Amino acid sequence: MRIRAAVSAALASAGILLVGWQSGVHVADTRSAVAAASTGNETAGTSAGTGSSDTSGPASSGTSGSSGAAGSSGSAGSSGAAGSSAAAGSAAKAGGTYDGDIVQTRFGTVQVQVTVKAGAITDVTALKLTDAEGRSMQISNYAAPILRSEVLQAQSAEVQTVGGATVTSNAYLTSLQAALDAANL
Amino acid sequence: MNTDLLPSPGADALRRPGPGQPANPGRGRFASQHRRRLLRADALTVAAWGSLAASVALWLADGGMTGISTLGAGITALGIVAGLAGMDLVLLMLLLAARIPLIDGAVGHDRALEFHRKLGKPSLYLLLAHGVLIAIGYGMAEGLDPVSEAVALWVLVPDMWLAFVSMALFIAVVVTSLVAVRRRFPYEFWYVVHLLTYAAVLTALPHQFSVGALFAPGTWQRWYWLAICIATGAALLYYRVMQPVLATFRHQLTVERVTAVAPGVVNIEMSGLNLNTLAGAGGRFFIWRFLAPGLWWHPHPFSLSAEPLAVDRNGRGRLRITVRNLGKGSAQLSRLKRGTKVAVEGPYGLFSSAARSKDHVVMIGAGIGITPLRALLETTPFEPGKATVLLRGHSDQELYLGDEILELCRARGATLFHLTGSRDPGSRESWLPASEQRAGYSLTDYAPEVAGADIYVCGPARWAENVLDAARSAGVREDQLHYERFDW
Repeated sequence: MRIRAAVSAALASAGILLVGWQSGVHVADTRSAVAAASTGNETAGTSAGTGSSDTSGPASSGTSGSSGAAGSSGSAGSSGAAGSSAAAGSAAKAGGTYDGDIVQTRFGTVQVQVTVKAGAITDVTALKLTDAEGRSMQISNYAAPILRSEVLQAQSAEVQTVGGATVTSNAYLTSLQAALDAANL
Repeated sequence: MNTDLLPSPGADALRRPGPGQPANPGRGRFASQHRRRLLRADALTVAAWGSLAASVALWLADGGMTGISTLGAGITALGIVAGLAGMDLVLLMLLLAARIPLIDGAVGHDRALEFHRKLGKPSLYLLLAHGVLIAIGYGMAEGLDPVSEAVALWVLVPDMWLAFVSMALFIAVVVTSLVAVRRRFPYEFWYVVHLLTYAAVLTALPHQFSVGALFAPGTWQRWYWLAICIATGAALLYYRVMQPVLATFRHQLTVERVTAVAPGVVNIEMSGLNLNTLAGAGGRFFIWRFLAPGLWWHPHPFSLSAEPLAVDRNGRGRLRITVRNLGKGSAQLSRLKRGTKVAVEGPYGLFSSAARSKDHVVMIGAGIGITPLRALLETTPFEPGKATVLLRGHSDQELYLGDEILELCRARGATLFHLTGSRDPGSRESWLPASEQRAGYSLTDYAPEVAGADIYVCGPARWAENVLDAARSAGVREDQLHYERFDW
């Protein structure tokens, strides 16, 4: 290799790597900000969703209140309440919210919550999504809405996984199936 | 002055500076052509390294470094980077073997293939590292040993079984290409296994886009990766498939006659159309397929031994190759019938005026390697007295086309030497016959201006290496040496 080629190749490569690294730092910053914001939105969405179902039954209305008060950390408490409401209802097609299993993946844990009303799935909320790497979080945020709408349309966990988010999708649907089993759907 | 310029059809290098008017009087006629070619070679080098850096930068730009919090994540990250770099090298290898004129014309067909082979092992090591590190890294994240993790990936994750198949294919391709292994099998075996490269790349692609988080839908990284994969595929499809088919239809080559030159050596003359556009200024090396029963599937690499003779304005004319019986494929060529259709791929390489950098030129050929020099001698520009031709063979009979070369040297004012006789069996470094070597002759005795000349060498590999060494020790710079191997 000639000296000119070697030097310019080294400079060009170093430049490309530097640009990549710099924009990587930038992406990581904005991503954590976006993730924080979207987590906030999700919590709001959850409480709103539960709030809408609280007209159906008094038990779940109590759940909604606790979740709204405690914020995002309170959702665990609400899930316990929802579970008890399922046990209390025990009817084949009771309404309310049901938590799915916590599924471990190599990218983090996944858990979903399903809202059932009159035997139909009216909402699916992700309580936990893969977030092991910054990337997984982005994928989760991308894949979750797609999976949710597919599930609402199919009214079951028998839907296609999302391309590029296979692991997340599988975990999501596994957790969902557990929630549906709990709801006797 | 005009006798030194017999413009070859379409020869760029000949037309641009104009007869007798060097573009750069002080530096010689070929200085600017040479500079442009070196610039192109350097630009390609930078592009190749840049693409490798870019493959890592893709990951960095995704915030890859910030995601490394545990040992397992670090190992996974290394595995991802290894996979990206390995795939980039594989794409570079494909491009180097795609016979793209931009690449071949800058560094030569043989150098391009040399780089191709040099990248073989590094790319395999990177891909292997990719698989192993990912299995370890994911395994650590899930609390599994790497083997169970690999099995889990195979069974549970879609497209991953294809990636495992791809890995096995890559290993097969590289192992059969190792020199020691390759010698044990016939060329055809190696060739068929090498074709599996395409299968290996195609089976590797799905998991990159479906499992590879970096290339998730909606990311610019996905577009970049898709673009380079598609561009590589398109280049291969065009230059390895389309261009040969188009050239075959455009030129409509048919065998005119086959005449004996010497025992075991024949001239094959072909007629065809648009021959003025066949070779251009590039190399004179083509791959021929004679479309006769039992022959059509066998590609024959040969250089032209005479410039295309376009007899009319439509480019209808003749061209010629000279072939020696080297294997059973070549033997069948001596029995070719008139009217046999010929498919052609090329021209390839840089063994032509396009490689010139100096006003002086020295051509050194041995045996059947003399014949491409004849076509070069016919057209490459030089002033009388500024060219030297050295022909090497065991006997005068082996100086194939020697009488035609003598005529050309007379007409154009080139100095011609015949070097015949066996070499000294005790000396492995010599390219000269034993008698000349004992008399103490060296390259500078035949061509005193060799240090400031372009040296074209064509002949058996071992002999050619010796010639190149002799030229180097006579002070010839590397970029003045022009040698192409066609025995792939």
